[in-house]
Amino acid sequence: MMKQRLASSSPMQFFPLQTSQIMLLVILATLPAMLVATWFFGYGVILNVLFATLVGVLCEATISRIRGRSVRATLADNSCLVTAVLFGMTIPPGTSWWLIVMGMVFAIALVKHAYGGLGQNTFNPAMAGYLFLLLAYPLDMTSWHLPAAAMNFNSASSPLGWQGFLQSLGCLFPFLPLLGDSLTVDGLAMATPLIESKLAAGNAIKAALEEGTGLFARSSETGWELINFAWLLGGLFLLVTRLISWHIPLSMIASTLIMSLLYYSPSAVAVLGTPYLHLFGSATMMGAFFIATDPVSAATGSRAKIAYGIIIGVSLYSIRVWGSYLDAVAIAVLFGNFCAPLLDRLLAPRKYGHPGLFSKLLGDITTGKSSP
Amino acid sequence: MIRQAFSDLFERLGSTSRRGIRPATLRESSLRSRIMPTPIPRELILSLQHYPDTSAKDVSSMKPCVEVGEWVAKYQLIAREKGPNATRLHAPTSGTVQAIEEIPPAVNGQRARLAIRLLTDTDERELPLEPPSDYRSLAPEQMIQLIEDAGICGMGGAGFPTATKVRDALEKGVKTLIINGVECEPYISCDEALIRERADLTVQGAELLQAACLADDCVIVIDNAMPAARQALKEKLQGSAIKLQVVRRRYPAGDERQLVKAVCRREVPNDGHPTDIGVLVQNIGTAVAVYEAIVHAKPCISRIVTLTGSALLTPKNFDAPIGTPVQHLLNLCGVNENQHEFTIRGGSMMGQYLMDQAAPIEKTTNCIIASNNAEIPEREAEQACIRCGYCEQACPAQLQPQRLLASIRNEEWQDTVELGLDDCIECGACAVVCPSRIPLVSYFRAGKEIHNEDHSAQRQSRHWQERFQFHQYRIKKNQEKARSAKVAAQSAGEEQGFSRDQARMEISAAVERVRRRREALARETGHGEEKS
Amino acid sequence: MTPLAENLFFQLLVGGSLLGSLLCAIAWGVAGLRKRLQEQRFLVDRINSILPQTQCGRCGHPGCRPYARAIATGEAINRCPPGGDRAIRRLSLLLNEARVPLDPAHGEIESAKVAVIREAECIGCTKCIVACPVDAIIGAAKHMHTVIASECTGCDLCIEPCPVDCIDLVERAPAFRYWSLAALATDPLSGEPCHD
Repeated sequence: MMKQRLASSSPMQFFPLQTSQIMLLVILATLPAMLVATWFFGYGVILNVLFATLVGVLCEATISRIRGRSVRATLADNSCLVTAVLFGMTIPPGTSWWLIVMGMVFAIALVKHAYGGLGQNTFNPAMAGYLFLLLAYPLDMTSWHLPAAAMNFNSASSPLGWQGFLQSLGCLFPFLPLLGDSLTVDGLAMATPLIESKLAAGNAIKAALEEGTGLFARSSETGWELINFAWLLGGLFLLVTRLISWHIPLSMIASTLIMSLLYYSPSAVAVLGTPYLHLFGSATMMGAFFIATDPVSAATGSRAKIAYGIIIGVSLYSIRVWGSYLDAVAIAVLFGNFCAPLLDRLLAPRKYGHPGLFSKLLGDITTGKSSP
Repeated sequence: MIRQAFSDLFERLGSTSRRGIRPATLRESSLRSRIMPTPIPRELILSLQHYPDTSAKDVSSMKPCVEVGEWVAKYQLIAREKGPNATRLHAPTSGTVQAIEEIPPAVNGQRARLAIRLLTDTDERELPLEPPSDYRSLAPEQMIQLIEDAGICGMGGAGFPTATKVRDALEKGVKTLIINGVECEPYISCDEALIRERADLTVQGAELLQAACLADDCVIVIDNAMPAARQALKEKLQGSAIKLQVVRRRYPAGDERQLVKAVCRREVPNDGHPTDIGVLVQNIGTAVAVYEAIVHAKPCISRIVTLTGSALLTPKNFDAPIGTPVQHLLNLCGVNENQHEFTIRGGSMMGQYLMDQAAPIEKTTNCIIASNNAEIPEREAEQACIRCGYCEQACPAQLQPQRLLASIRNEEWQDTVELGLDDCIECGACAVVCPSRIPLVSYFRAGKEIHNEDHSAQRQSRHWQERFQFHQYRIKKNQEKARSAKVAAQSAGEEQGFSRDQARMEISAAVERVRRRREALARETGHGEEKS
Repeated sequence: MTPLAENLFFQLLVGGSLLGSLLCAIAWGVAGLRKRLQEQRFLVDRINSILPQTQCGRCGHPGCRPYARAIATGEAINRCPPGGDRAIRRLSLLLNEARVPLDPAHGEIESAKVAVIREAECIGCTKCIVACPVDAIIGAAKHMHTVIASECTGCDLCIEPCPVDCIDLVERAPAFRYWSLAALATDPLSGEPCHD
């Protein structure tokens, strides 16, 4: 060991945080949103996440074995846990098990390992897996199998009881003889967490407070808003701990806001939505803090990150308002992923003591060669 | 002019972020006691070749001017500069030159180098010094000559001769002289201790340096983590024209280029020196040495060294003679042998593991850390780069270490040049923050070496090409000359002085001679073998 | 109230700035292209700068530049043993040709060499001086000759003409190198490759 140490080079001290711990902290930051979502939609959310994690770990282990890598070392970076958690939270609760298996295997095997494993994938695995399912099984991905108590938002009973758990489990594994025929839940056609209701307008939380129904009364509008605030809370935790920098979330949220302000018109709210709805009525916060900031597929430099956030924010709004796709965040992020390597190249920081991009550009145009 | 203004504006906008990292300071323990004078060790080892810590390249070398067995007095010149970038070496104490021989490398990557072994005696008989009668009336040239005679080199780390630097500054004309008291490495406290205890010498040294390079103004820069030093400097600077500037503690704020940017808000051109933009940077230890050299004509024979680390009982700063073995200083501090697992020369950010405890203190050695795995754990195994960009945020040279790493692994040397491998100052900030524990600095050093080899091979081939072209030109010219001479000779009707047949005969005679000599040689060695 | 985005003035503003930046980008691209074209004008020079300039003639041409001219007109790029893999790699990149191994008919890859004359045996015939393509051998007729090591390309053209075989080719000392990429690419603890 001593000999090994002598041959190593400076520096000798390191900051304590390692990749595996960063991943665990990201999972910690998703907990508020997971809890709020469970409160509104029942145990299906947590069951999704757990099952996706199981599938993800098995898939990662198998593939690293096939690729001739140390299974332990590959699993030790915890990156597949983050993918599984984000994937599990984007698909509707109550989805059948085989959809989750297909989505996770697509994400881990094709999107991540086929491109060379952690650090080499061009696209965000969770989003690519989700989009794959959405394009292949649009019907299944938009029908929600919720426990009876969660279906009827005005009912006083909670979906978090034992019955609710059995119902959620039954939705995930329909072949299990858990419940009698009488208790089988019906599907409810509804937006996935990433799909936003174009019609819902206005401030549901404000309305809920004014009507005196209480903040956590189960209604779909307050549900979405509160989940978004929970994502925002988790995102602020990531920001405060410096795990992510402010560039991507800020530029993405700001550009979405600016786009929605530019097109805001009180007469067209039903079509174009309000700025508030665009920020808190859908999955914008999750996208801004957890998905667009995935380090592997995002841009790395400060300038490139800001441009990356703007690209995602603008395309998010465009897809949402004028596009025909059901979902905006996943496609906008994948579009940003396409641009990220180019942005890193074009918007590289100016090296110390070198002329900057602007004077280089001027020099190129005026003299036909780069300035010294 | 408008273009310049525009590009200035945009470049300011482009570099708003504060780069670098902020490691915790670990200076307290070594600052608890005052600077301690070192008892002269039995033997001093005075290295004649100087390498910077991080590269295998020989920076400067010296030529001894004493004989083995000769007795030398304290302050006596014992080696002169050989080639550029070298300084002179003086005997730190009186004694006998025991040997001039190669000593083993001190750190990994270094080669064996030549050194003078000086067996000290207890007399400390010194040469009489001849200080100038009135140092205030000296001309800049005379001051620089005194600095050169004293053999002062930069005490910060690179060890570039101070006289050369000041002379360059004098010729180019500088506006600002920066005295660098910023110590950004977590462990090193020698500069802080020096300011705290010898603030008056520091200020006077700065004044002398300013007079030597004729700078308009002079700034002493320290960081905000040294309150005692700040207080001492403030007192001494009252009524002085020298300014004091305090910068935020940040690694590597003490790097020359980073300091220039922090103080003057301008960047040093990538292919130039600070003097190109009218700035001269000198270390605080250098300023004190300059004071001694100009006022007392005393050569540079000692320096302040920090001894610290958890394996030492009493960490402290030493005023150590050049050439003191590290082991001698460690013993003076008291080593807890159970906890002493390795020694680092230099700081924990840019230093290297010391392989030989008998290695000497050199003019550029600022710190020795005796430590163990509990205090400085080993680097964990390397993981995949997740492109988190922490390294890019930390890089003070504003490079993209993650892209540099990829291009070095793929051996795309053209890309590495464009990404600025040569601009990397090897400060290690990127490797410190890397959550995947990738030894980025080692990759960059390997890349630099390979790239340098490529570069020198290309230079060599260009040289050969020139020689070949000249060879062809010469042959052609000779042929023409011979032809015209032949024509001239024939027209004059003279005989040729050179006969081809005669030449051939001479060659064959010579071949015969060699053959005979070889046979004779073979016979002799044959006899020899038989005898044995 | 119409959305701000449908205001004509606003549209002109945004559209104009987008168009302006597009024009700027095109101008920049054209300038870069012009520069690149200027650089690539002399193909033979660029090929020649890749060849090692030992002037050994092992490719079958009298010197490196004639071979460069031949490559530019279509000859194979794998006939230069002193250049080795490095030269082939760079030539294949320059000319967009397949990377092929060195043609064994022209020799094998060797480390850099330098010629040394055993001076006691030299008879001063000047034949090697005539043969040397870079004038790296000095000496006069009937006097001892010697090689200027720093100028010698190790081409071995002086070996054959020597009537007394007193010239040796010895290996040049390799450059001192400490940091190795190969060592970094493997994890020191487990010995496995640590990245893709």
